[in-house]
Amino acid sequence: MRRAQKSCPFCETRVRFIDYKDDRTLGRFITDHGKILPSRLSGVCARHQRQLSTAVKRARYLAIIPYIRGHQA
Amino acid sequence: MSRDYEAVYIFDSTLEDAAITDKLTRYHGMLKADGEVKTDHWGRRQLAYPIGPRENGYYVVARFNTDPKTLPEYERALKLDDGVVRYLVTLHENEVGAPPMSEEELLAARRREEDDEDED
Repeated sequence: MRRAQKSCPFCETRVRFIDYKDDRTLGRFITDHGKILPSRLSGVCARHQRQLSTAVKRARYLAIIPYIRGHQA
Repeated sequence: MSRDYEAVYIFDSTLEDAAITDKLTRYHGMLKADGEVKTDHWGRRQLAYPIGPRENGYYVVARFNTDPKTLPEYERALKLDDGVVRYLVTLHENEVGAPPMSEEELLAARRREEDDEDED
């Protein structure tokens, strides 16, 4: 788990729109199992968390990031 | 009124490159886009999870400006094509809100991001 951050990492780098095609960035905000990391752990502000949530869901649909990781059927 | 869109296609990775370019030209022709359609070929890439029997896909990102009225026909064609594993059309977001970041800002942002990753 990531330690809580003081401020939103997206605001710090002045990201206006979170890109659903950027798997490296999205990868930092999902857990090992592929769940979206809650903002209380990542420190993402509400506006960016909403964008992040949409971005992660789009990326999942496009098979850029997995829906579930580490699950054996 | 026309709007900016971004489309991502995942083609069957067994298709020839020429066939993919062909399909793209056909679909983009249906859009009657204002200005050119910018395409970015990511090429063959492993899917994060298997889609049916497929483990790989050929990704193409396209940006265009068109009238929304042209979209239903275009999307129907995409849906019917077996060579297209998946596609996603989204409004290109720079259209709403503030203008995109300048080159310097982007560079600074990227540098910041890399610093961040070192900490982990």
